[in-house]
Amino acid sequence: MQEEIIGLKNEAIAQISGVKDSAELEELRAAYLGRNGKFTLLIKKIKEVPPESRKTFGITLNESKTAIENLISDKKQEFIKSLTEKRDWFDLSMPGYKSNLGHLHPLTHVLKEVKQIFNYLGYQVADGPEIESDYYNFEALNTPKDHPARDSQMTFYVDTTGTNLKMGETVLRTQTSAMQGRVMEKIKPPFRVLAPGRNFRYEQVDASHGFEFWQIEGFVVDENIHLTDLFGTISYVLGELFGKETKIRFATTNFPFVEPGVDTYLQCTICKGKGCSFCKGTGWSEIMPAGMIHPNVLKMAKIDPAKWNGFAFAIGLSRIVNLRYQIKDLRTLTTPDMRILSQF
Amino acid sequence: MWKMTEAGLTCEATKKIGDETILDVEVTANRPDWMSIVGVAREVAAIQGVPFRLPKINDLPKRQQNFPMDYKIDYEVLERWSAVIISDVTIKPSPDWMQHRLELVGLRPINNIVDITNYVMFELGIPMHAFDYDEIRGQIMVVEKAKGGEEFTTVDELIYKLPKDSMIIRDSERIIDLCGIKGGLNSGIKAATKNILIHSTIDNPVLTRRSSIAMGLRSDASAIYERGPDKGGTVQTLKRMAGLILELAGGKIASPLTDIKKDKFEPRNLSLSFKNLKRILGIKIPETEVVQILSRLNLSPKKNALGVNCTIPTYRGDIKIEEDLAEEVARIYGYNKFPTTIPTGKVAIQKIPYYFNDSLILKIKDLLTFSGYSETKNLSLISKELIIRFGMDPDESFRITNPVSLEYEYMRTSLIPSLVSAIKINTAEHLKLFEIDKVYLKIDKKAVEKYKVAGIYLGDNFRKFKTVIDLILSKLNIENYDIEFETDKPYLHQSNAGTIKLKGVTLGEFGEINPSVLATMEIPTKVFCFEMDVETLTKSAKTKLFSPLPTNPAQIEDLTLTFPEKTRIGLVVRTIISMNQFVKSVQLNDVYNAGGVSSSAYKNNYTFRIEYQNPDKTLTNEEAEKIRNEILTTLKSKFGASIRAADS
Repeated sequence: MQEEIIGLKNEAIAQISGVKDSAELEELRAAYLGRNGKFTLLIKKIKEVPPESRKTFGITLNESKTAIENLISDKKQEFIKSLTEKRDWFDLSMPGYKSNLGHLHPLTHVLKEVKQIFNYLGYQVADGPEIESDYYNFEALNTPKDHPARDSQMTFYVDTTGTNLKMGETVLRTQTSAMQGRVMEKIKPPFRVLAPGRNFRYEQVDASHGFEFWQIEGFVVDENIHLTDLFGTISYVLGELFGKETKIRFATTNFPFVEPGVDTYLQCTICKGKGCSFCKGTGWSEIMPAGMIHPNVLKMAKIDPAKWNGFAFAIGLSRIVNLRYQIKDLRTLTTPDMRILSQF
Repeated sequence: MWKMTEAGLTCEATKKIGDETILDVEVTANRPDWMSIVGVAREVAAIQGVPFRLPKINDLPKRQQNFPMDYKIDYEVLERWSAVIISDVTIKPSPDWMQHRLELVGLRPINNIVDITNYVMFELGIPMHAFDYDEIRGQIMVVEKAKGGEEFTTVDELIYKLPKDSMIIRDSERIIDLCGIKGGLNSGIKAATKNILIHSTIDNPVLTRRSSIAMGLRSDASAIYERGPDKGGTVQTLKRMAGLILELAGGKIASPLTDIKKDKFEPRNLSLSFKNLKRILGIKIPETEVVQILSRLNLSPKKNALGVNCTIPTYRGDIKIEEDLAEEVARIYGYNKFPTTIPTGKVAIQKIPYYFNDSLILKIKDLLTFSGYSETKNLSLISKELIIRFGMDPDESFRITNPVSLEYEYMRTSLIPSLVSAIKINTAEHLKLFEIDKVYLKIDKKAVEKYKVAGIYLGDNFRKFKTVIDLILSKLNIENYDIEFETDKPYLHQSNAGTIKLKGVTLGEFGEINPSVLATMEIPTKVFCFEMDVETLTKSAKTKLFSPLPTNPAQIEDLTLTFPEKTRIGLVVRTIISMNQFVKSVQLNDVYNAGGVSSSAYKNNYTFRIEYQNPDKTLTNEEAEKIRNEILTTLKSKFGASIRAADS
């Protein structure tokens, strides 16, 4: 019996000494000391040992077992130590593999940002039709037929043959402001609305003009809305988009659907106001027409202007994207070239 | 220049010519009074708070003769007619100072009379015209609307066919003037003209605009008339013109001053309350300053306890309501002096009409970009040619009657054509593009705009392409959808494309683009595509509830099977999962092409990795075996499957 124990111990020692890694070590540990391990089974054989030899048997067994355990533990330490030792030089500068992520469009990036800013201010997002009626696109915005203001927004007309739409009255939306009439006639104030969308205007295409472009309309109607609220909202939003240090200034302008009318100028992000080719030498970029909603617009939506008033603004999303990334040509945004898309 | 722009009279450029500075100003539609030197000067004076001086205009000297003339005025054509006849004028060039000034504003000097009409128009802002009195046959001027089709020769010697409702003046024999736009050659001032009739009128802006657009003819006068010049200023303008004529061309007043008008056209009253001013602006501007500003603007404010009562001159037709006065105060005070505030009202939680939640769209965009697809934004307007190229009927698309060009004449009914076209401008071998945006459909005689999510995949590997469709549907927890092996889309391959349906509702189509379409575009590679309807996806999307973690491990096993030709493996996978509640998951792990075997043998080996699990207790080997046998039996009877033959 004793020989068996010693023999097993030596066998174990020989095996363990020759072990190459911790996985092999673990295998051997299980083989000798595990549930069905050789030493464990040997312990069970103590019944076969004559009672007078049992004590010696037990001592030898325990000593051997301990010796094996210690050897295993030492070996383990040895492995850990060797793992942490200094190794041959390894090139940490080696590049990883190229990731194959796709890219979101810059309009999507910026629109997400804008929506987040307005979400903070309590606005809800609305989406409406691009094939619009002359009524919502102009008349509900206090711009009757033959009004010269229509000249600045040359309109595309839709061929309505075969539909119930009215010829001559069905247009492609020229401004997201068309959403004002649509929303206001269906809901009572107070409300804060953000309506991003695509607009169409008859323009010959060149680097700074396109016939499809994106705007984000916003309007607020409540009791006691002030011009200062409009200035404050615009300043806050542009500050978030372009940084608090970016200068903006306001000027008076005229649209039939706002009074007072406001235009917002943003200092050119490239030349910082000195004048460059990007801002056509003026140092400033017009980006946000706005104003207090004209009482006629409210009246047409059956909202009483004596009790409620509000402001509205239109952010030129395409232009903001161009300013943000310094894209000089408007056509870049609608060109599906991976050399462009992969930059965002 | 900035102060002018800030107050609304946008001035962004100036030019120096000699010792004169030319200002380039932008006149907004509401301020026709700015279309004159006096108007701009008055505005600048108000902005800067400096006094303003009108040119001295004398009354007409006493009439020395009485040349007859009859008038018949249609008020629908013009609302005011102020005229006088001057005899014995001498036609010669106007003096240098006048010619120079006209040239500076871009006008060509002609003779003293014509030059004076232009000069006064630019100076005071109301168009004037001079007629050769002796050419007005029958001494009668009838103002009326044209029937349409009449021929007319302008002073520029161009012949036009007049549109219906253009505004004309007839004498007893012929048309002598196209009101609001251009004078007639027949009644114009010539070198030998001796007697003239000058008039200042207020022509109908709508009719002027319509005729001008219909004829494609604009003039400085028509531009002013479209906006509506000062109805109360015709007489002063006439006096100014007469004064200059007598000075520079000689002559005698030969008729009384005729002034035929529809209304009195006098200044009117408008009040602005301080309370409302504060409400609109958000700040309290000191009352004295309010009065000062309105006074500088020539609005004659009279202060009372509640506000100011203004007298609005006739040249400010744009000031109609209190808000207009509020803007006057604010813009002269200076927008950039205002403090900034944020609205203080409640945030409304009731959903607005047209409410749009784009969180699902953003989720799908992220899934697509993570799968290597890049987002494009293509134009909504496409050509008829592109529609036909993709096998569709242009009549099903909305057409624009006045497109910028034939390349952009129709509204797209699918995102696929533009995405496929994008292949031509890219060089990448494995191009993956997507777009999520609107298409425009004619449904039930109405315009219906729908958001679609579409993608194209340039490459050969169908399973790699299909991955993203499976991903999107699985992330939306859309399960148990059917794939029909046919589609109604003419641009998809008849054998390699299908429709995804959920309980009979179409989610979208996918498959290979018809190679004949690609051939017309000289695209040699295979292109896969998909297009799904966002609204339908949104309605079909579900939330999946959490499955508590089982306490016992699952049993995993691989089953390799072969099937007869034309077996739908997608259906096999679905069948296995739905077989038994303890089948936790099934994945097609491997497809091995055994190949090289005789023609009657099955060609592919499909290895399915199946997980069996009972969440409540560990499955015994016997229980798992029972389920496996169930699976094998069903697959055999339903699909003709058999276990892969041992290699022999």
